[in-house]
Amino acid sequence: MNPMIGDTLKALRIADVSPQGMKAWAGFLRDPNPLHLDPRAVAAKGLGERVINQGPANLAYVISMLQSAFPGARIDTLEVRYVDNVFGGEAVEASGRVLELSGGDDAPQIKCEVWLRAEARGPVITGTATLTLAAIR
Amino acid sequence: MDPLKPLPDAPSVAGISLSGKTPYVISADENRALCATIGVAPAEDGSAHPIYFYIATQIGMGMTVAELCKTCDFDVEDGPMITSTKVGFSQPLMTEVLYQVTGEILGLIRKLSRKLGVMDMLEYELRLSLPDGTAVLKTTNVWVLPRRHLS
Repeated sequence: MNPMIGDTLKALRIADVSPQGMKAWAGFLRDPNPLHLDPRAVAAKGLGERVINQGPANLAYVISMLQSAFPGARIDTLEVRYVDNVFGGEAVEASGRVLELSGGDDAPQIKCEVWLRAEARGPVITGTATLTLAAIR
Repeated sequence: MDPLKPLPDAPSVAGISLSGKTPYVISADENRALCATIGVAPAEDGSAHPIYFYIATQIGMGMTVAELCKTCDFDVEDGPMITSTKVGFSQPLMTEVLYQVTGEILGLIRKLSRKLGVMDMLEYELRLSLPDGTAVLKTTNVWVLPRRHLS
C-alpha cells in the first residue's frame, strides 16, 4: 500500500456492541464495575438505560482498525481522549485520516488522526497515532 | 460553590509509587478471547493485542483503581471517569512473557468545571519493562474525580 496525506483509513465497524463482550472485558480488566454489567446500575446513576462499554474496549476497536489499515506496521504512539460513552447494542465505527508521512523508504512513518464514532450520536474517542510501516521495497 | 471563594486544596499525592510487586503475564488464551470480542484474529507471531498496554499496566500496578482513588481521598463509587490516555511503545507486547510495572502519580489538580462542579484531575504514569529492565512502553492516564460534595 502507498498511503497519501489526507487518505481516509478503512473503517472497522462493530454492528452491535455486545453486553456479553462487556462481561468478558470486566474479566480482562479485573473490573467488576456494575455500569458495564447491570443496566439498573446505569439507570441509578442517571446515565441512561443500557450498560456502558469499557473505555479500553472502545480504544481496542481503534487499534484494531489501525492494524487492519496498515498490516505489519508497528504502533509507536497513541494519544486519545475519551469524549463520550458507548452503550450496549450500539453500532460504532473506528476510522482515521493520514496527517503526515516521514522517515523514508526503509522505515516509513505515518501520523494519523483516529476516531471512534457511535453511528447514531457522534465521536466517542478522538486522537492521533504514529506508526512505523513495513519497509517499502 | 461560590466561584469567588478559593477551592480547598486537593490531597497531596504527586510522587506516590504505583510500582507493582507481581509481574504481569498476558495469557495467550485470554488474548485470543479478547480478540474474539473485537472480531479480529489473534496474531500468529505470539504478539498480544496492543490494548494490553492498558490492561497490563492497570492490573500490574501496585494498586487497584479503587485503591488509587482511595489514595486520592475519593470513593470509587462516586464515579471516576477516564478522560485521556497516551502511550509510547518501544517494542510490541508478547503473550506468555513476564512484565514488570513501575510508575507513580504525577499530579492531582483541583478545578472548577461548569459541567461537573469541583473536580480533581488525576494524572499518573505507568511503565512496562522486561525483568532485565528493558523498556517496553510508557503510558499516562488522566482521570476526572468529581467532588460533588464540594460543589
